[in-house]
Amino acid sequence: MLRLAYKSVKHNPKRLLLTTVAVALGVALVSTTLTLTNALSNGFDELFAETTGTTDVAVEAQETSDAETGDDMWAPEDALISTDDLASIAAVDGVAAAYGGIQVDGTAMPSGYEADGSMMSGNGAPTILYNWHGVPDVDKATLVEGSAPTADTDIVLDVDSAPALGYEIGDTVSVATDTGVEEFTLVGLVRFGESNSLQTATLGYMTEARAQEITGQDGFQEVAVVTEDGADNDAVAEALADVVPAGTRAVTGEQLQAEQSESLDSMLQYIDIFAITFALVALFVGSYIIVNTFRIVVTQRTREFGLMRAIGVTGSQVRRTVLLEALVIAVVAATLGIGLGYLGALGMAAVAESFVGDIFGTMSLPLDAVLWSYALAALVTLVSALLPAIHASAISPMEALRESATESKKPLKTRNIVGAAIALLGLVGVFVGLYTDLSMPYVYVGAGAMALVVGVTLLAAQVLVPLAFGLRDLLTRVFRIDGKLAANNIRREPRRSANTAAALMIGVMLLALVSTFTESLKSVITGEFDAMEADLFVTDSGDGVVPEGALDIIEGAAGVDFVTSVGLTSVEYDDEARTLVAIDTATFESAYETDADSDLSSIGDGVFIAPDVQDLGVEVGDEVTLVGATGSVTLEVTGLVDSSEDGSFWVDWSTADALEDGLGAYQSLVVLDDGEDVDSVQSAILDRFTEEYPLVVLQTPDQMTQLATSFTDMILGVISALLGSALVIAILGVANTLLLSVTERTREIGLLRAVGVRRSSVWRMITIESMVMAIFGTVLGMILGVGLGAALVKALAEFGFGTATIPWGWLALYTVGAALAGVMAAIWPARRASRLDILEAVAADG
Amino acid sequence: MTTTTATIAAPTTVATAATMRKGYKDYGLGGTAVRALDGVDVDIARHEFTAIMGPSGSGKSTLLHTLAGLDKLTSGESSIADIVITSLPEAKVTEVRRDHIGFVFQSFNLIPSLNARENITLPLDISGKPVDKEWFDEIIGILGLAGRLTHLPAELSGGQQQRVAVARALVARPEIIFADEPSGNLDSRSGNELLSFMRRAVKEFGQTIVMVTHDPSAAAHADRILFLEDGRIVDEMREPTADKVLDRMKQMGR
Amino acid sequence: MTTTALAATMRGGYKDYGFGDTAVRALDGINVDIAGHEFTAIMGPSGSGKSTLLHTLAGLDRLTAGESSIADIVITSLPEAKVTEVRRDHIGFVFQSFNLIPSLSAKENITLPLDISGKPVDKEWFEEIIGILGLGDRLTHLPAELSGGQQQRVAVARALVARPEIIFADEPSGNLDSRSGSELLGFMRRAVKEFGQTIVMVTHDPSAAAYADRILFLEDGQIVDEMREPTADKVLDRMKQMGH
Repeated sequence: MLRLAYKSVKHNPKRLLLTTVAVALGVALVSTTLTLTNALSNGFDELFAETTGTTDVAVEAQETSDAETGDDMWAPEDALISTDDLASIAAVDGVAAAYGGIQVDGTAMPSGYEADGSMMSGNGAPTILYNWHGVPDVDKATLVEGSAPTADTDIVLDVDSAPALGYEIGDTVSVATDTGVEEFTLVGLVRFGESNSLQTATLGYMTEARAQEITGQDGFQEVAVVTEDGADNDAVAEALADVVPAGTRAVTGEQLQAEQSESLDSMLQYIDIFAITFALVALFVGSYIIVNTFRIVVTQRTREFGLMRAIGVTGSQVRRTVLLEALVIAVVAATLGIGLGYLGALGMAAVAESFVGDIFGTMSLPLDAVLWSYALAALVTLVSALLPAIHASAISPMEALRESATESKKPLKTRNIVGAAIALLGLVGVFVGLYTDLSMPYVYVGAGAMALVVGVTLLAAQVLVPLAFGLRDLLTRVFRIDGKLAANNIRREPRRSANTAAALMIGVMLLALVSTFTESLKSVITGEFDAMEADLFVTDSGDGVVPEGALDIIEGAAGVDFVTSVGLTSVEYDDEARTLVAIDTATFESAYETDADSDLSSIGDGVFIAPDVQDLGVEVGDEVTLVGATGSVTLEVTGLVDSSEDGSFWVDWSTADALEDGLGAYQSLVVLDDGEDVDSVQSAILDRFTEEYPLVVLQTPDQMTQLATSFTDMILGVISALLGSALVIAILGVANTLLLSVTERTREIGLLRAVGVRRSSVWRMITIESMVMAIFGTVLGMILGVGLGAALVKALAEFGFGTATIPWGWLALYTVGAALAGVMAAIWPARRASRLDILEAVAADG
Repeated sequence: MTTTTATIAAPTTVATAATMRKGYKDYGLGGTAVRALDGVDVDIARHEFTAIMGPSGSGKSTLLHTLAGLDKLTSGESSIADIVITSLPEAKVTEVRRDHIGFVFQSFNLIPSLNARENITLPLDISGKPVDKEWFDEIIGILGLAGRLTHLPAELSGGQQQRVAVARALVARPEIIFADEPSGNLDSRSGNELLSFMRRAVKEFGQTIVMVTHDPSAAAHADRILFLEDGRIVDEMREPTADKVLDRMKQMGR
Repeated sequence: MTTTALAATMRGGYKDYGFGDTAVRALDGINVDIAGHEFTAIMGPSGSGKSTLLHTLAGLDRLTAGESSIADIVITSLPEAKVTEVRRDHIGFVFQSFNLIPSLSAKENITLPLDISGKPVDKEWFEEIIGILGLGDRLTHLPAELSGGQQQRVAVARALVARPEIIFADEPSGNLDSRSGSELLGFMRRAVKEFGQTIVMVTHDPSAAAYADRILFLEDGQIVDEMREPTADKVLDRMKQMGH
């Protein structure tokens, strides 16, 4: 039977070609993603091997338990290790030498930079600045040109970054720090590790004295320990544990490297899951095509199966043959998809590296990509081919003797009932997920949406019948007989047309869903900025904290009435991490409209709580105890604020300082004197920032809105791109269905041609059919997508979403796109149909 | 087996609806090549019912297809209504078929998605010509299809389907109708009815019909029978009866 | 006519198609015995029910009423799966067209019935059939690469290879030119005479029917006459007599 299946696929590969391509595209997405993340992981592993792999033992700050503040892997930490500590570390048995390391928080500015108050001041990749020891294994870098930093004004940069930033040895290098711009003289170039593979970061070194001066701290953040020859690193690390100061730990380089790789891999895993989700969507769409193809092929091969049954093949043998054919396709498609995906990964890596530099390590096809690809392809094709295979096994031997394939005249009743039930179940799932308080709501929403899609697919057949009937008159009037026949053909096989349209529906639905969401998000953002009375916003594109000095400059600038700052941090309440908002209670409300039950100035020494805390039963007058990074306080609840999305607890800066010493401003709002020109004040301040704080972002509400808008557009763009393969597959599906229909209708088309229908008319007929199916699928998708999007927006009302914004512009674009796609999808089938040999049709076994 | 090559002179030199001169048709290449037509000269007279008979594989269907412009001759010339179609491009031949020819095939004559009325007016719809209401009603009346016009092909019996096909062939008043075993799939009563209608169309409306059949009693409805064997016209018969045809077949060694 | 060694029988066979307006009675009370080792032809005009008789005798289609059997097995009362087995083990088929699986070579098509039932191919018998049918150098060709006559000979070879109780042929020469048709029918007659094969063939062609030992004439679903030792002339005379 396997031979028969294989031969059958090989005999007429054309009719299965598009199906194979569809599955291959879905598989390709899987293998591209897995290959890319694998290479990314390799790239970072190489980096980690060079940074930490060469260290014997390191002493560093203990990981803070609360992950929300410890996110940034590049951010410097507090200097917890004093010079005395360093001495005791060096005295431990087995330690040959100990080097105190200081990381400086600063950004090397490009040569000739100018502050424009936008995010673009920094080039995105971080700068890492350290004190220079002159020991390659400790510095992880080797001097390759010029000299090492000896004077406090000296700096060395890595060999790739210096030219990239526009510096040569002898130039003055500007480094933006929290306390202003520091200037250095470039005295040398260093190579990081063996190949300077820094994943686009800038690396620089200065003297210990200068580093401590900039950080304003005496001690060290970390210590690199070189052990004596033959000493056991593990034992030394264990011994060091007794002498290291509180809040730090001693760890071997080997272990540190493993920890870093592990945490990176777990992060990359999210990317895998995200992209594989889209691949699954693509394969789900592909499964529609497989179902259709196998249905049609089984119908076309009715005589063949009938003949087989006549000479004694049993029904189950026929079924097995069809399933084996599906398996053959799966294997071919998966192999093709893996290759395609690998090439795609190479291409994307090349494109990505041309923008951001060398970030990928060794490119190789990971085993899990191969396994996933074959498994998914086999699963999808076998499940999809199951129903057609069962259908094939029910063909009676008499069918072999009939003239032509009979049309399915089965009523749609069962399909409708099942469809309605599944759709309803899906809707319930979506609403349960969105509006009830269950854990893991996305599981319900996801499963619900999928059921809804399947249900609507089934129901779509019923919708198509009256729709095609209604369209018939219109199409007949516009396109005469071509239009009439096209409308008839859609109506004739409603199941097939509905499945084809539904494949497109899925992709469009997700597009419409995302665009509804992002457009609504835009309205939220725009509305928020509109409601503000502040004239300028200050943020920082360096470490995210607006430097005090910068605020001083703004406050002192002409035309500025006042500046009010907001701090954000995480505190523990009742053993749970919650967001704390620090504001200047006296001025905040004049710059920012907040929905509180009383004036924010009445916070006083107490705290205002948001709805999420109120939900815990906390009321005005109660006392709450908050635990911050450097202290804990007990506060009286003095009011309510209706804004969970900003933060749970709202306190004055004075209270916040007690919780977390040195909490910086996350954002500052600037209010100008009445009648001041915003632009001129902004540019005057920016002029001073160029000198001292080039990384500070200073923007008007309009600019901020624009930024947020471009960000949401980018999200939409990325998701659209990922949905691209699903959409391409769906369009292939339209072409595929039409192609197979054309083969099936050979006699009919031949008859039309015999009685005098021109080739161009046949072409037009197929094109109309294609366009109607494409637009129908798109409209269904848009209705579902906007509906689900609106439901999602409504469910997120707590986070500031108002009413859903219907993305009319996008919807219009999708419709036009669908019409064009319809024309494209019709090209091949129309060509085939218009070139059919008339005789083959009319004389077919005459 | 007699293999006399009788050259059939045109019965009338005027008013030929279709002609073929030195028609050759080969199918396939190399080992499986077959000569289906082997030098056919034929004139189809206007207002006559011509039947083409011959055993399976004699080339009778091929003759019909090439005369009707559905298939191209390998060499030779054929014309419809004085238009030489062998030298025309495909698009023009399509127009000739649309404007001058009607077809009735053995089966699969109707577009499954169109009802009987739409199938009948299909040739007029294609060319955008108006339907001659009176003529339409007359045909429908004669063929007894009045109560069936809104039915889809699948809802019609085999005989009704073939009558719809004949109505479609007649409605545009074509120069010539080609019928390929029109009664081949029908029981004897329905077949007889259908052939009588076709004969009436010739006698009463002056329609020209060419029909391929292997059935002596079907051929007996024609004015003239051409006998084909191995791609050649070997004989013809005027005013045939089923008995005469059967005798002829015996004579031919069958 | 021998009363023993019946390869197939039908008693009181009725078959109706369709409902209401389009209903047709294809078989109208058929009683027939097909003798073993004989070549039986079924003749009749279009629509007389000759193909339906063949299909119901062969277990491809079910009678509306009545009983039929193959090799003493009453197939009218068997479930579909059992009827499939009877077809596989006791019957060979040759249809007018579409006899071969397009994706299999001639050889694979011929041995298909044996492959399905998992029986070994009798090498000698296979060679003998191939020799007689002149298919020796065509075995690796796909059906599309064979002429119509060759395709039908492959179909006959397939029907013969499993040595079935009975072979049913539906207009086997219907699509062939006269020479190929005569050759094919000659082979079929040889199979009956030399190997004792039983064959039932439907045809409307008098010269094809003349190859048979016995002809059954059908009209409007009933057997109206039969003829032994026919010739083409006798058949044509008979057709004239029947009012054609």
